[in-house]
Amino acid sequence: MRHGKGAAAAAVAGMLVLSACGGSGGDDSGSTAASGKPRIELVINGGLGDKSFFDSAYEGLKKAQKDLGYDLKVVELGSDRTKWEPGFEDAAAAGDYDILAAGTFDVTDYVGDLAPQYPDKKFWVFDSAVDYSGKNGTCSNKCENVYSVTFKQNEGGYLAGFLAEKLVAGKALKGAESLDKVGVMGGVKIPVIEDFVVGFKAGFKAAGGKDSDVLVQYVGGDKPFGDPAKGKEISTALYGQGAALVWPVAGLSGLGTFESAVTAQRYTFGVDSDQYQTLTDQAQKNTVVTSLLKNVGNALYKAAQDDRKDSLKYGAVATVGLAEDAVGYVNDAHFAQLVPEKVRTELQAAADRVKSGSVTVPSAF
Amino acid sequence: MSSVLDVVLSSAFLAAVLRVATPYLLAAFGGLVAERAGISNIALEGQMLAAACTGALVAGYSGSVALGALGGLTVATLLGLLLAALRLELGADAIIAGIGLNLLASGATAYAVYTLLDDKGGTSGLRSGTLPTVPLPGIESVPVLGDALSGQNLVTWLAFLAAPFVAWLFYRTRFGFHLRAVGEKPDAAASVGIPVRRVQYAGLALSGALAGLAGVFLSMGHVSFFVRDMTAGRGFIALAAVFLGGLRPWGVFLAALGFGAAEALAVQLGTLDVPPQLVSTIPYAMTLLALALYAWRRKRRGTGEPVPASL
Repeated sequence: MRHGKGAAAAAVAGMLVLSACGGSGGDDSGSTAASGKPRIELVINGGLGDKSFFDSAYEGLKKAQKDLGYDLKVVELGSDRTKWEPGFEDAAAAGDYDILAAGTFDVTDYVGDLAPQYPDKKFWVFDSAVDYSGKNGTCSNKCENVYSVTFKQNEGGYLAGFLAEKLVAGKALKGAESLDKVGVMGGVKIPVIEDFVVGFKAGFKAAGGKDSDVLVQYVGGDKPFGDPAKGKEISTALYGQGAALVWPVAGLSGLGTFESAVTAQRYTFGVDSDQYQTLTDQAQKNTVVTSLLKNVGNALYKAAQDDRKDSLKYGAVATVGLAEDAVGYVNDAHFAQLVPEKVRTELQAAADRVKSGSVTVPSAF
Repeated sequence: MSSVLDVVLSSAFLAAVLRVATPYLLAAFGGLVAERAGISNIALEGQMLAAACTGALVAGYSGSVALGALGGLTVATLLGLLLAALRLELGADAIIAGIGLNLLASGATAYAVYTLLDDKGGTSGLRSGTLPTVPLPGIESVPVLGDALSGQNLVTWLAFLAAPFVAWLFYRTRFGFHLRAVGEKPDAAASVGIPVRRVQYAGLALSGALAGLAGVFLSMGHVSFFVRDMTAGRGFIALAAVFLGGLRPWGVFLAALGFGAAEALAVQLGTLDVPPQLVSTIPYAMTLLALALYAWRRKRRGTGEPVPASL
């Protein structure tokens, strides 16, 4: 039995190692050789395959790799938060990169701690900004080697809300003509998600809607951005409360929304990337009126372009929105088919007003 | 507050309770069977996940949801047997081995999906379909109840039938008697000729199969695809229901149903003017409360025995 116990321990240890590989694997180019190309390492606090946020970032950097002559390496840290900080430390310490790119609010403190330790490296933070003031104890070098880019997702939310109200007020959604409520399903109540919601409500009101007709609900729980079953329950509840359409802003949990929309015979908007394209089921596709794009990939591609020209501004945060084409909506044939021309023109006008600055969209930040 | 009452009395809410409770019920019965066999199955989460993944993949590739469900159940059953083997043959600690299996399932499912579909998120690109729903012609016309009960997924009904099934198994069959004896005092059971290991293997296989059915429901009933780590802690909540239910079939049934109801309530209350952070703590707060209650009851009884004498 003595021997047996050792074997058991080995078996369990083996499983741990195996699963650790499975959870955080994924190294795309592996070419760390000194090819003279600047090396970008994308460190993901989560995983690829979300069909929106991180996939978009990856696409943008892949394009930079192809067009602009970068080397690209991707590290996925998985969804276990306890592995993120050591993961970032390991990635930064390995030193086989020139630029370390990472996204979301969760990474700002890690990058803020690491940037001063590796002053000859560059760091990019997308969809959030490090604390350049250094007041919270990070960024002891004022993060002068960190470029942050944030998105005006509130502007995307504004257009979504504007369009939603125009559609319900104009009774344009077939089968949902009698309904005047709309729903937004967020992942969790954090500033980035709230920014979508605040923008949505502002747009809904700007188009003539009532605040009380916007139903907002959050997935929450253990996996707010990865629990489609719960996403489906919440969307079903929102449709049940009379929402003509539901806009999921909750990563993979949103996939449940498209299923419930088919059952309820109602509508959805997509988020971050063109979800009409990423969905495969035709019935689900048909529920997607448009997608509100948050073009993380484009923003990173542009950063890569600017960095090649040494014109990327480090030590500061850039904020991009509709005017920079970092935020927008899908205007395709399916959209034209579901949305009357008058509403499309009005939406375009609303977008132009935001772009020109004659309308300022409130923000959750 | 009247709106809360409206919500709770609606057929939509009742239907949601049945759906949400389904994985909790099945996984909890899986946990119960293993616990009574004397091996804690903390790998419920991993067994669910593996079954959810296998089910969606097999159904997607074969075009048959029945084959998919069978595949999912098989994998989860094998994982149950593997846990038993680690414990019984190699003397591993069941908790550590269970954690290992959970991590294995999380990594292996993500790896399998990525290898087969080149998608790191899940199988949503695969049209795998769902298990059939069951219309109830007679009940459909009953107000509130009819809408809630009719058209539920087949697995939901299996989950509710699992309660009488496990109760019958435990208290009306020879196997159940052996299982409980083995769980309580393996030496005593062995001394009267009960094949302890064989009973424990069978118990863990059944435990895995029940958890597997819960997983299959997630990816082939509740939604029609698998997503990485989609079980989202449900296996652990089910485990809490096992203990809250006092390790008795009907107690576990009520506890799991209670967790389902709490989560469904949180979903339905989400749009009312209650802070979402507060609402989303309902299932977790209930879990904590439940465990505290369980510990208190045990303490009052003044016994360290984890297994109550009988029903």
